[in-house]
Amino acid sequence: MSDEAVTNFCPKGDVLVIAEVAAGELQPVTLELLGAGRILSDKMERSLLCLVLGHNLGDIPQKLIEYGADVVYVADHPELYQYRTLTYRRAVCDFLESLPEPPHTTLLGSTTTGRDLAPRIAAHFDTGLTADCTELDIGPYEHKSKVDPSKVGLYPNCLYAIRPSFGESLKARILGPWKNPQMATARPGVMIPLKLDPNRVGKIVNVPVNLQPEDYRLVVADTVREISKGFKLTEADVIIAGGFGLGSADGFELLKKLADCFPNSAIGASRKVVDLGWIPYQHQVGQTGKTVRPKLYIACGISGAIQHRVGMSKSGMIIAINKDPDAPIFKFANYGIVGDVYQIIPEMIKEFGAVIKKEEGEPVGRAR
Amino acid sequence: MLATGSYNIFVLVKQVPDQGSKAGINPDGTIDRAKAKRMLNPFDRYALQAALFTKRTYGGTVTAISMGPPPATEVLLEALEHGVDLGYLLCDRRLAASDTLATAYALYKTILYVGKPDVIFCGLQTTDGDTAQVGPQLAERLNLPQITYCEDFAIVNGKVEAQRIIEGGTQKVVTDLPVLVTVANSYHALEYKSFRGAWRVQQLKRNPEEMSKYIRTVDLDVIGADAERCGLKGSPTIVAATEKVGEIGGNCCMFEGNSPEVLISDLLAAANVKEYIAALEAK
Ligand SMILES: Cc1cc2nc3c(=O)[nH]c(=O)nc-3n(C[C@H](O)[C@H](O)[C@H](O)COP(=O)(O)OP(=O)(O)OC[C@H]3O[C@@H](n4cnc5c(N)ncnc54)[C@H](O)[C@@H]3O)c2cc1C
Ligand SMILES: Cc1cc2nc3c(=O)[nH]c(=O)nc-3n(C[C@H](O)[C@H](O)[C@H](O)COP(=O)(O)OP(=O)(O)OC[C@H]3O[C@@H](n4cnc5c(N)ncnc54)[C@H](O)[C@@H]3O)c2cc1C
Repeated sequence: MSDEAVTNFCPKGDVLVIAEVAAGELQPVTLELLGAGRILSDKMERSLLCLVLGHNLGDIPQKLIEYGADVVYVADHPELYQYRTLTYRRAVCDFLESLPEPPHTTLLGSTTTGRDLAPRIAAHFDTGLTADCTELDIGPYEHKSKVDPSKVGLYPNCLYAIRPSFGESLKARILGPWKNPQMATARPGVMIPLKLDPNRVGKIVNVPVNLQPEDYRLVVADTVREISKGFKLTEADVIIAGGFGLGSADGFELLKKLADCFPNSAIGASRKVVDLGWIPYQHQVGQTGKTVRPKLYIACGISGAIQHRVGMSKSGMIIAINKDPDAPIFKFANYGIVGDVYQIIPEMIKEFGAVIKKEEGEPVGRAR
Repeated sequence: MLATGSYNIFVLVKQVPDQGSKAGINPDGTIDRAKAKRMLNPFDRYALQAALFTKRTYGGTVTAISMGPPPATEVLLEALEHGVDLGYLLCDRRLAASDTLATAYALYKTILYVGKPDVIFCGLQTTDGDTAQVGPQLAERLNLPQITYCEDFAIVNGKVEAQRIIEGGTQKVVTDLPVLVTVANSYHALEYKSFRGAWRVQQLKRNPEEMSKYIRTVDLDVIGADAERCGLKGSPTIVAATEKVGEIGGNCCMFEGNSPEVLISDLLAAANVKEYIAALEAK
């Protein structure tokens, strides 16, 4: 078998994005996925499909077209009004099975929802899934290893799913061209959405939803969305992040005061302080937390470990405060202040508060 | 009064390279797994705590399951020291290079072999593969409901009441047993090893025969798994290439050796900062 064909062709297909809607709102990661998906589908000269699940979705399907989708499939059902693993799993699997050919690529956000759903879909279809990608591309691949002869061959159009491989400070390119859909989850805040284009045309197609009694085995009793800072961490313009250098949980009170100097600001944190219980997990930035790309990131008492860096290095401007002049964070911050957070931050609050008030001509509160 | 059941509790633990230690880190950034120090996946400590808490509170037995090369016995012994009753190691050369799909398949077959769990606790993710995919993939194979990112778990009148993290908040969920749970690192930290557990492991280490009763090593044939669905063959994905993440920077504008007042006014004088913040405001 292996000697016979040198060039195997990846099965063809379109690119599918599975949209995420929470509390009736389209999540930004979906627009990012459409941006990335558009590049992939254009490279293969195929269509960009989007599946959106929910109930009474209003203008969301139209919006998905304006952000890049060619065809939007709508799975509308009263029980899909909120995410639940088994109901969504059913609707997505049924939809994929109803397609004449499986998509080439299927993308989800690596949010708590996407990471809950994607592995179930992948396991159901026995297909590959790459976690938490930070880059996606289409390209050729030649598999030479003969350990599994059925894999050998040249594959012209593979999904390159690229993810940081952390502790090892590497980027790993994961491939699985042998079976469609080639699945990946992509980290929020990394891919770039297209500009909204109201003139873009596309098709909206309703798909049937047939939920089964066993899909209701888990009931959501209550959902609480925090209105604290850190809520929508990935959408904040300014993030004030604290690390172990704060010395104690109380340090975050000071950081909140600094955050109050800026509109649309949020509090971030390193893993170490989250593990210590100084601040909830939702605030964690980095490899195992959120990837953020605010306009301004102020790192206070954070050493700048690679696992933290990968989550924030794309920020517009990084200012770091650390008492150790050799702290790794100074290797990639734009501005570094060597000093004690408890001396520097109060001064910053004084000065930044003043700068902003001067520019605005009035006191500025934080946008809620 | 708490209704105590005799719950069959499984916990899945993985041995990972200790990335805090420099040992076994190759110059190109890859890990030499033979030389690297090994440890229990830190996230699995929370799963272990949830399993032991469930046993203590509601009654039952805890079985720890791990898939890995022979040294992975160490994490099962560690689990025993913490109070786990029994450990199973799935160890087979044919498992090498398993991706998450193949790993979940092999663990699924192991679970079927070991028994009928009421609840399976997994870590949220590992620190090496770091995908958080094995738990949900396993739940799919077992056709179970799942509670991922779980930070609170209780059994009330035979039903599971749990709290999980969602984007920007939390969610309370209710479901029946059996269920698969992946435990978030906001769950309670693992308590210290128990005296009894540590003592027991000491005894076992002196008596290989007794040991093999408590740490049972099985291979693909024993559990009846299809080797074609494991390892490289059973894995739809491969790691095709790795590259080192380049060191960035060198152009950080530093302010030091002055009073906080001067440092901050210097920072603000670096024209960029001021304009930048103003531009933010103008938005
Ligand atoms: C698999 C894996 C995943 C991980 N995921 C993440 C992740 O998602 N996010 C993350 O952040 N980390 C993550 N980590 C942990 C990461 O490796 C670091 O341990 C962590 O980021 C360190 O947190 P820190 O900077 O707060 O603490 P430290 O490294 O202890 O740094 C504290 C810093 O504060 C400075 N300091 C002390 N006192 C003061 C003071 N008074 N004023 C000013 N500066 C002071 C010190 O000089 C030091 O640089 C992960 C690790 C692993 C192995
Ligand atoms: C750099 C790199 C990147 C990779 N990327 C991917 C990828 O994107 N997609 C993919 O399919 N595979 C990937 N793999 C392969 C993957 O790491 C292995 O399949 C691994 O065996 C399981 O995945 P994990 O470590 O990510 O586990 P996770 O899914 O993160 O583990 C979650 C939980 O499952 C349980 N568990 C996991 N493994 C075991 C085990 N061996 N024994 C007992 N319990 C266990 C534990 O409770 C654990 O806390 C990658 C490997 C490397 C080295």
